[in-house]
Amino acid sequence: MTFDFTVVTANAHLLWQRFLITLYYTVITIAAGLLIGLVIGLIQLSPFRPLVWLGRVYVEFFRNIPLLVIVLWTYYALPIFLGVNITKGWAGFLALSFYVGSFYAEILRAGVQSIDPGQTDASTALGMSYGQRMRRIILPQAFRRMVPPLAGQSIIQMKNTTLLSMITVPDLLYQGSYISSFTSPPMEIYTAIGLIFVIILVPLTLLSRKLEKAGLVAK
Amino acid sequence: MDTEHAREILKLRAICLRFGKAEVLRGVDLSVAQGEVVVIIGGSGSGKTSLLRCINLLNTPSSGSIVIDSETLFDVDRNGTDRAGLKSAQIDRIRAQTGMVFQQFNLFPHMTALQNVMEAPVTVKRQNKQDVEKQARELLGQMGLEQHVDKRPAQLSGGQQQRVAIARALAMEPKVMLFDEPTSALDPELVGEVLKAMVALARSGMTMVVVTHELGFALEIADRVIFIDQGLIAADGPPQQVLLHPEHLRLKQFVGRFHETADLLRPFLEGKARHHELRSME
Repeated sequence: MTFDFTVVTANAHLLWQRFLITLYYTVITIAAGLLIGLVIGLIQLSPFRPLVWLGRVYVEFFRNIPLLVIVLWTYYALPIFLGVNITKGWAGFLALSFYVGSFYAEILRAGVQSIDPGQTDASTALGMSYGQRMRRIILPQAFRRMVPPLAGQSIIQMKNTTLLSMITVPDLLYQGSYISSFTSPPMEIYTAIGLIFVIILVPLTLLSRKLEKAGLVAK
Repeated sequence: MDTEHAREILKLRAICLRFGKAEVLRGVDLSVAQGEVVVIIGGSGSGKTSLLRCINLLNTPSSGSIVIDSETLFDVDRNGTDRAGLKSAQIDRIRAQTGMVFQQFNLFPHMTALQNVMEAPVTVKRQNKQDVEKQARELLGQMGLEQHVDKRPAQLSGGQQQRVAIARALAMEPKVMLFDEPTSALDPELVGEVLKAMVALARSGMTMVVVTHELGFALEIADRVIFIDQGLIAADGPPQQVLLHPEHLRLKQFVGRFHETADLLRPFLEGKARHHELRSME
């Protein structure tokens, strides 16, 4: 069996455009997910029981349903429930953001709870309010510990965007299967797509390891 | 010491504290006058640290009242009715009038010594940064730390960290300083420098409540020593009386261990150590 990568080079321009779409969804869903994670993470740390439960329900809901099911449900079922049209772009954005948000929320909660209670004692005794304690003392320390798991989850998020091809969002994978549908065999194009992810994500993984080490030194 | 006419800085009434079913404090009354140094002693689990943490509501009592310099911080009756009804912002403001030093120092590891001391005056009191920095450097200087202002806690010894922690608490100009076993986590050779700073602070007229096992410190500097046993104040009096002539049985046992150590040291202190050495060599 021989590989013939002319099909890849011939479609390089198309693949590049679709790669930008993959990158676009990665960035915007990570940004929205961080915001959701911050809110859900913080309400899980609040002293109000009902809020804590609300946060837990959210996290368990999104963490325990396969992402593919969430993506398909958001695109095909949610519009029926809401009685409005949702474009595939919006459906993909919402599904991926809410999904990764639940993981970010857990990372935030665990990061904050890993900070020595003595830090809360000391800042409270100085007269700092809950908000001041969080902003000035607890979160700056927790964020340092959260960098490695946040980087890890974000790398997974980039790979997860490929599920968007299931609702025909024209990302890298969608374009790949489209091209391979009229060029056979499909192995070159899927190999190339796999390699693109490796080329992008391996350096990012190494960078996150470096940040992790830097974080340990900063302690 | 003329404490009768001095202002009452701290007044606790009938403080009870429950953790689940365990009754940690069972009705503690305690008044501290301005400039007074009160040392609290007691065995482990006696409730002495819990009592100290009640004063600034790090532990919330199940009932009782707390007044700091004639401002009510806490007032809950036996039925659990809150008669003070303070908002958390009011609690934060009154609590800031007390300073606390912890056994484990609890410095903020992501800030330098100077930033640790400056944090609360800038964030809580919103004071001018330049003024705060000047005052913080002065405080750290008083603690003998002028060479260490830009170091992180991890670069400092335990004794240095604890002195930064004292400066950090003093920066808020508290009316009373609370010390929770401030030397218990220190290597023996570092205890002295922290005790020295505390003695200087007491001599400067600071009102202090100190939970400690350093009975020598209590004898030297305390106006009153309080012995807590099973969640109640079992003895309260001048250090000479409480520590050297204890009447309460459990207090006798408690300070007895201290006397035994002193007895072991006495021959050495009185210069008879040589005889002991010679005898053991025979």
